[in-house]
Amino acid sequence: MTEGAFHINPADLPEKEIWFAMGYKDTVPEERIREMVRQLRDRLVPRATVRYMYDIVPAEKLSPRRMRMGGVEFNPEGIICSYLDGMSHALVFVGTAGVEFDAAVKELNAEGDIVADFIADSIGTVLAEASVARMEKDYTGEETISMPYSPGYCNWNIREQHLLFSLFPEQPCGIRLSESSLMAPEKSVSGFFALGEKLVRQPYHCEICKNKTCYKRRDAK
Amino acid sequence: MDELYEAIYRGMAPKAKIAVQASLDAAKTPQDIIDGSMIPAMEAIGADFESGKAFVPNLLLSARAMKSALDILKPLMMAEQTVTLGTVVIGTVKGDLHDIGKNLVASMLEGRGFNVINLGADVSKERFIEAARENKADIICLSALLTTTMGYMQEVVEAVKEAGLPVKIMVGGAPLNAEFAAKIGADGYSSNANEAVTLAKSLLN
Repeated sequence: MTEGAFHINPADLPEKEIWFAMGYKDTVPEERIREMVRQLRDRLVPRATVRYMYDIVPAEKLSPRRMRMGGVEFNPEGIICSYLDGMSHALVFVGTAGVEFDAAVKELNAEGDIVADFIADSIGTVLAEASVARMEKDYTGEETISMPYSPGYCNWNIREQHLLFSLFPEQPCGIRLSESSLMAPEKSVSGFFALGEKLVRQPYHCEICKNKTCYKRRDAK
Repeated sequence: MDELYEAIYRGMAPKAKIAVQASLDAAKTPQDIIDGSMIPAMEAIGADFESGKAFVPNLLLSARAMKSALDILKPLMMAEQTVTLGTVVIGTVKGDLHDIGKNLVASMLEGRGFNVINLGADVSKERFIEAARENKADIICLSALLTTTMGYMQEVVEAVKEAGLPVKIMVGGAPLNAEFAAKIGADGYSSNANEAVTLAKSLLN
């Protein structure tokens, strides 16, 4: 099991990614909103300690809808399984924007500015995703690494997050998982990268997914 | 276009406050100001959002400007006994702590003239019923972001019906759709905050 934590220089957190999380897919927000994003980024990001934990475990695709990772069977459904041919291992992970960021956002929320709250939420999303990017970068093995996949996305039932957490120690990175599969701190992520010599890394095929409101969706407005 | 309309459409709260005061100084009634400038501005930004010309932050900035103007008008409106469009009790259902989308809907509803009672997140069916009863609510809005918590919405709908409250129930949240809303017996579903306002208005008509 590998564990890590890091800080991000606010200027290194790409504004474009925050805009994307805010719903600006291919559009640049007006200057006033860009300035608000910068101000909140500069205020909140220095408070954040991003944490992550991962393990590399044996994994295999069992059927067009099922797979096994670390001895545990999962049912991530057809979309994700279609990307898993050739998988021999998986890098299972959790990551979080951290409790410190969560506390900073709660302080902000108390100020009662809904616009700031919305932007802060998007910054948290990008911070949590930064932990995933760090883990992908950390992986130096020779097997091909896939895109990351998470319970709750691409039709993978979010309840299987409990199965995923069973591969980690209690409260990894301080993340608590509720009975309803809600992670706390809220800005946390979990999932896996498929690994395999014969694996082919494929982009997300959002066009075949029915979840039109997914914030990661690339073919929607 | 008048300055108040412009200030709210563009989401400029300080300018909206100045403009609303200027309108009052010009002897306009609060209701005329709201109907003539403020509501049309919110409708315009809502239409821009629907057509992809505006984004969530634009909606929120306008709602914030609307609220700052309403804060000046509300005390006067009470004196005139002006009524709101209706009372909405809103919350994220039990087991779910996602607040941001629900708060967005609450802001938009408030900005468009509804009296909004925001119960926060992780709200039980008993709390929804109690708040709806206390506030004589016209609508209950339920939010959920998890597939694991959307099921609780059905329990709330059933409990509200069992309690015999004369309210409409709206649902929303990323994993939901209109079919789910119909299946659990809700009166409507909206996929975004602007649509929620349109739905709320139509449910009361």
